[in-house]
Amino acid sequence: MTSILNISMRDFKGLVFTPMFYFIASLCAFLLSYSFVRNLIDFAYSTSASQVAGAVKYSIHQIVVVSHISITNIILIFAVPAITMKLISEEKKTKTYDLLLTSPITSGQIVIGKFLGGLFTSLLLVFISFLYPLALMLFTKIDLGILFSSYLGLSLVCSAYVAIGLFCSSLSSSIIASVIMGVVFNLTLWFLSQGTVYSESDLLVSVMDHLSIGDHLFSFIKGSLKLSSIVYFLSACGLFVFLSGRVVESSRWR
Amino acid sequence: MINVKQLTKNYGDRCAVKNLNFTVKSGEVVGFLGPNGAGKTTTMKIITGFMAASSGQVCIDGDDVYEHPLKVKSKIGYLPETPPVYNDMYVKDYLSFVAKLKGLSKNIIGGNIDYALEQTQLQDVKGRLIKNLSKGFKQRVGIAGALVSKPPILILDEPTVGLDPRQVAEIRKLIIRLRGKHTILLSTHILSEVQAICERVIIINKGEIIAEDSLAVIAKKASVASKFEVDILRKEDELQKTLLNTPGVLEVERNGQKFYIQINPEQLSTESLTKAIVNSGAGLTQFKPSMNYLEKIFINLTTSSDHKEL
Repeated sequence: MTSILNISMRDFKGLVFTPMFYFIASLCAFLLSYSFVRNLIDFAYSTSASQVAGAVKYSIHQIVVVSHISITNIILIFAVPAITMKLISEEKKTKTYDLLLTSPITSGQIVIGKFLGGLFTSLLLVFISFLYPLALMLFTKIDLGILFSSYLGLSLVCSAYVAIGLFCSSLSSSIIASVIMGVVFNLTLWFLSQGTVYSESDLLVSVMDHLSIGDHLFSFIKGSLKLSSIVYFLSACGLFVFLSGRVVESSRWR
Repeated sequence: MINVKQLTKNYGDRCAVKNLNFTVKSGEVVGFLGPNGAGKTTTMKIITGFMAASSGQVCIDGDDVYEHPLKVKSKIGYLPETPPVYNDMYVKDYLSFVAKLKGLSKNIIGGNIDYALEQTQLQDVKGRLIKNLSKGFKQRVGIAGALVSKPPILILDEPTVGLDPRQVAEIRKLIIRLRGKHTILLSTHILSEVQAICERVIIINKGEIIAEDSLAVIAKKASVASKFEVDILRKEDELQKTLLNTPGVLEVERNGQKFYIQINPEQLSTESLTKAIVNSGAGLTQFKPSMNYLEKIFINLTTSSDHKEL
């Protein structure tokens, strides 16, 4: 356990205290501020319109927070691979990988440590996104239950992206290749449910729906904590961390 | 301490190491010598548990590297060819990270870091970012990382490659300081380094051991003629004649009053040669062994093993 924490703390510091991370974080903040203000204006219009016509009333959660979380998710699809790309690729490139592999630790400890380091860093981005609805609470009432369930979902999505990014990073010593692989992987998981249009088999449709990240995240956003969704995210993390562990282990017997 | 038996490693069809057998006893300093691509790094990586052998066995204190990797790895300090340092860390933080990685308990980490800093004389730069250090310093940080757990075994892969002569001398001094405290296996293709540091040499070429002994014994086995540099004051022609008539003298080169004499040490001892020169009354002012004989051993051994293969 101490060696896992040792590796994750080193990676966390190595990832956060770099100009690259500051750049990614400020870019996120910029995009989120831009879209958040636009959402607020949309919300203001829709409420004034509904007062006049007596149409369906939407809560601020449905209009502002839901679209804020969707945008955060889109940002994470690209930003998380940019953070996790260094986790193993960089170690291979700078030969510090030799140090890890000749130290008395197992490859499981190495990848779990690296996963946690990447996760803590990526959760900082989720935290930045969380500040916006939090700021909203100064002016209006927000359903905290739904807000927390949404952000729990977002954190789980984020951890799945980190596990995928870690796996992609373990495959190559080129950080560019790992970013591209990571983004493609994340997008595939996101768009998997779109494929249901082409399929006539019910089984295939339900498999694709279950594998797609989007549906699981939406249940969290709606405020329902489904055990199947939690299991889905945890097993996605487990699978990709396990695969990374096998890749690291493979260099011992290759 | 280190026991290598029938070690073979194949990369696809290419055989990097073939049936290697050797042992390193506790406290020894052993040089691992060979041209580039001979299989030195591969062997070292297998000993440290970085990769597995295709066949054969490596035991450290009786424990198989492949069966008990964690136990074995905690006994080894390894410096790869490129020092495995994180450029974004401070020297002291790096050493503390490595110490924790090696599983040291908290109360001895501080003492061990001080030991590593002292041995490698890095106290002055311990607060500096590794990125900003010169190559020689990075190399020393790498050695400090290998030392920080005070491992009984140190494996150093070309520790002086790419350094300037002063840094090379410093690293050599450092390794000599460590002699006796650790068992050291050191790879290099620089011969004078082996001569300065090691008690025993293993010469490897194309994945096979071609000689294993102390340098003096290897020189004898390789039947390399000894060469001497001699300065005299007078009677150059007479001396040349006398020398050429002495049995055991193989070659005499002359450059003014300077002679390069090559002898077969089995036929003529160094003592008899000096006696012969002094008795000739030529006024001997300098007599010293020519230093390049190590290169000759190396070239003789590696090329003869190449011929065998052909």
